Amino acid sequence: MAQVERFSYDNAIVRKFAYATIIFGVVGILVGLIAALQLVFPTLNLGIPYTTFGRIRPLHTNAAIFAFVGNGIFMGVYYSLQRLLKTRMFSKGLSEFHFWGWQAIILAAAITLPLGITSAKEYAELEWPIDLAIAAVWVAFGINMFGTILKRREQHLYVAIWFYIATWVTVTVLHIGNNLELPVHLWKSYPVFAGVQDALIQWWYGHNAVAFFLTTPYLGLMYYYLPKAANRPVYSYKLSIIHFWALIFIYIWAGPHHLLYTSLPDWAQSLGTVFSVMLIAPSWGGMLNGLLTLRGAWDRVRQDPILKFMVVAVTAYGMSTFEGPMLSIKSVNAISHYTDWTIGHVHIGTLGWNGFLTFGILYWLIPRLFNTKLHSLKLANAHFWIGTLGILFYAIPLYWAGWTQSLMWKQFTPDGFLQYGNFLETVTQIIPMYGLRALGGTLYVAGYFVMVYNLIKTIQAGSFIGDEAAEAPPASTWAAHHGKEHWHRWIERRPVQMLIAATIAILIGGMVEIFPMAMIDDQVPRIESVTPYTPLELEGRDIYIREGCLGCHSQMVRPFRSETERYGEYSKSGEFIYDRPFLWGSKRTGPDLHRVGGKYPHSWHYNHMYEPQSTSPGSIMPPYPWLLRDELNTSNTAAKIRALQTLGTPYPEGYDQIAVEDLQKQAKIVADNLRKDGIDDDKLEEKEIIAVIAYLQRLGTDIKPKPQAGN
Amino acid sequence: MKNKTLKLILAVLPLLLFSSTIWGQAAEGTGSNPYFYSGLLSNGMLFLVGAVFVAALIALYNLLNIMVKVQQIRIYQEQGMEAYMEEAKKPQQSFFQRLYKRMTNVVPVEKEKDIMFDHEYDGIRELDNVLPPWWVAMFYITIAFGVVYYTYYHFTGAGPSSAEEYKMEMEQAEKAVQAYLATQSNQVDETNVELLTDEQSLAAGKAIFEGKGTCFTCHGMQGEGGIGPNLTDPYWIHGGGIKDLFKTIKYGVPEKGMISWKDQLKPSEMHQVASYILSLQGTNPPNPKEPQGELYQQVENAPAPPADSTATGAESKEADAIGMNKE
Repeated sequence: MAQVERFSYDNAIVRKFAYATIIFGVVGILVGLIAALQLVFPTLNLGIPYTTFGRIRPLHTNAAIFAFVGNGIFMGVYYSLQRLLKTRMFSKGLSEFHFWGWQAIILAAAITLPLGITSAKEYAELEWPIDLAIAAVWVAFGINMFGTILKRREQHLYVAIWFYIATWVTVTVLHIGNNLELPVHLWKSYPVFAGVQDALIQWWYGHNAVAFFLTTPYLGLMYYYLPKAANRPVYSYKLSIIHFWALIFIYIWAGPHHLLYTSLPDWAQSLGTVFSVMLIAPSWGGMLNGLLTLRGAWDRVRQDPILKFMVVAVTAYGMSTFEGPMLSIKSVNAISHYTDWTIGHVHIGTLGWNGFLTFGILYWLIPRLFNTKLHSLKLANAHFWIGTLGILFYAIPLYWAGWTQSLMWKQFTPDGFLQYGNFLETVTQIIPMYGLRALGGTLYVAGYFVMVYNLIKTIQAGSFIGDEAAEAPPASTWAAHHGKEHWHRWIERRPVQMLIAATIAILIGGMVEIFPMAMIDDQVPRIESVTPYTPLELEGRDIYIREGCLGCHSQMVRPFRSETERYGEYSKSGEFIYDRPFLWGSKRTGPDLHRVGGKYPHSWHYNHMYEPQSTSPGSIMPPYPWLLRDELNTSNTAAKIRALQTLGTPYPEGYDQIAVEDLQKQAKIVADNLRKDGIDDDKLEEKEIIAVIAYLQRLGTDIKPKPQAGN
Repeated sequence: MKNKTLKLILAVLPLLLFSSTIWGQAAEGTGSNPYFYSGLLSNGMLFLVGAVFVAALIALYNLLNIMVKVQQIRIYQEQGMEAYMEEAKKPQQSFFQRLYKRMTNVVPVEKEKDIMFDHEYDGIRELDNVLPPWWVAMFYITIAFGVVYYTYYHFTGAGPSSAEEYKMEMEQAEKAVQAYLATQSNQVDETNVELLTDEQSLAAGKAIFEGKGTCFTCHGMQGEGGIGPNLTDPYWIHGGGIKDLFKTIKYGVPEKGMISWKDQLKPSEMHQVASYILSLQGTNPPNPKEPQGELYQQVENAPAPPADSTATGAESKEADAIGMNKE
């Protein structure tokens, strides 16, 4: 009485996501290449605001993470999920909604980010209406996935699906947590948390975007596609279990390692350090299970480009997950943070792990979808070698640049002076390395195009199977389980319990870190002299956000002699209580700005923004002439003040009514000061530059000793 | 076997020697070499010491092995050559081979059918290999590290906080700088500075003016003025003597945008650039900025005027209102 049900797999949705993956891979990498070239040729934005580094850097990261890898995840999941569960996707409508919704979000990102519409939170830059759309699409994906799981014909869930479930629930939690924001108008919002709390939540999110968007779903994909491609059994079921639960539980704690030596309280920083170190083994569990699955197939790795891609991907994963914990040790982080070392590190992960695994999957999947053979193994091999060279040329110069610059920042002369007191010296030193990095990126892109050609040829040669016939015994034939079996089999039969257990595992770390920070006032000692931004400074700050200044400038002086000598007193948590969002940044392509207030005359900033090289010869900062040309939009100033009041910023009641008036008064003073230095313009006081100068001159001055002059 | 062990010991010994010399140098280095990045140094040393410790352990283990072997040979010899030969024929595995086997504990590919699970997912099978013992050990070690680290820094209070670390770093650096300065003589400051006129000093001053001092960005490439005042006319806001200039450069006039250079230029460099600026007097460059301040009369041995005495009340009020100096 062998019952068998006939059904079919939906390959059409897989093909859609595969095409999107291929297209957005090109976009993401090319935008990255442009950004890399701009660091060598600063005028490459062609004088256009929309193409400046500050605006296209988030475009690059969002395109690479959410468009390329995102579509890659969905491609891989929609194909493997159906087959691992022996059923068709739950809902055609939800699949379509998921696909088109996700592409619409990408389109919205591609429009809004160059326009400077951003919430300034790394990898979560999109503004609140798009955040809501992401939530809707993500929930649709979740319902579709769980619907499919619930109507499955396979009694137990395979390890790949555990990872899919953990990914879905954690990304949901992170996305909501980090985007709690109060809208001012359709394209502007302020986050609910300020300063240190905002920073902690951002990096709880930011780190786990890496963990649960770039890592866990791809581990799931690895567990399906690697054994399929190698035709070998998975090395160790026990290892799968232990490393899965350990990974999702420990990963979530590690966020504070992005904030070592900042104003975040020490206890939270140390949690970031120790949990990052504890993360080595769980991460390597995945690498081991991948590499050891290839035992007995290594002879094939030599010939099969798919396996080659996968081996390098898994190895790159192993390298970055060892390097990451090392970078989380405070004395190493003191060197690496704010430098290109971090950029090199993250690209080993993205180019190596995510990129190469995606390529391997595409080479494996596309011929199967089109019922044919890959057009050319030779070209695939060529892609592999060009891509590998690309990664090396990308990463090694950046490591070198990072070490060089960091050591130059820290170098003192015996009589107690900074050896390289001028920040620019440390920048011009590493520009050749930036050039090599761009070469590496070019190689990687070239390899990518080889793949695109190869896949197009493959697609042309084959014929697409939209509905692939399959058969399996129905759920009614499942055996009852009792007695001797591995204890973990129990939860593999119960997707809902699996979801709940995973949710608990990923909530603990975040709650232990975030709740004390958000709830206990003592965590951020108040400083009497710190006051809210004036309306003009606030508008200037929002321009700083719009232009993406934080992509190259940090606002966090760490407690090191080399930083306090260069920038001034180290940053205190109490200074940031009105910072919504926090703008500490994570990379110093230019100097830190937290103590820039009062350092230079207004006219210096005016000239610097117009032509950075005039005040800082050799600077790689692009000019911002539009700040001098465009008039400041004050139509939302009152609404901004009201929004901040709602969030707890202590502006006097009714201040929104006189905010613009105050703004104009302060603008007049700044403009008059500029005129005194011979700078004039018809409507000088109405220009955006005035607000930017007011903001920059305010930065970090709240706790500076005041001169005793005047009244 | 014996030969191998000896080789190993020979290999380890120079390592020990080598590392101890480095250790000696380093200990000296942290004292007299303040600009060497000491955090990196101590971490590197820690690692080296650890490596040497492990190497010593391995050497010790191998020595023990040799002694056991010698003992065995003696026993075999007493029990007759036959038994010894029998034993010697058995394949011997080196320490590392045995360690490798123990740490991986893997079922060979040929025997994997014995540990294959019944279940399969879309054709994917799973093996029941145990957790690699080295991996388990690594996991335990990192957990132990976490517990020790957190206890050291947060439960016992023995480890310094970030702020304490900073304080220590500053104190150490201050001591080292003082020690260095004690070996140097004739530090220039605003009380004893004299005008330099030799060509070499003026050339050095010019290089600073146009280079690392970035003076030209505000005062013009030829001192004609721009954002900042003209330096070639005899009118000075804060005094035009060498001592005045030195003082203005050293401490700056922050409320007017002239930054303090004492942390970026050495006294000798401020000396050179101040002298160079005074050498520009009367050069009449093109596009001069209109004179500011007062006509300066050279007065020998006159005390330098206080830095803020020439700032007018209006200017201070203005600086106050724009938020540069809030409240």
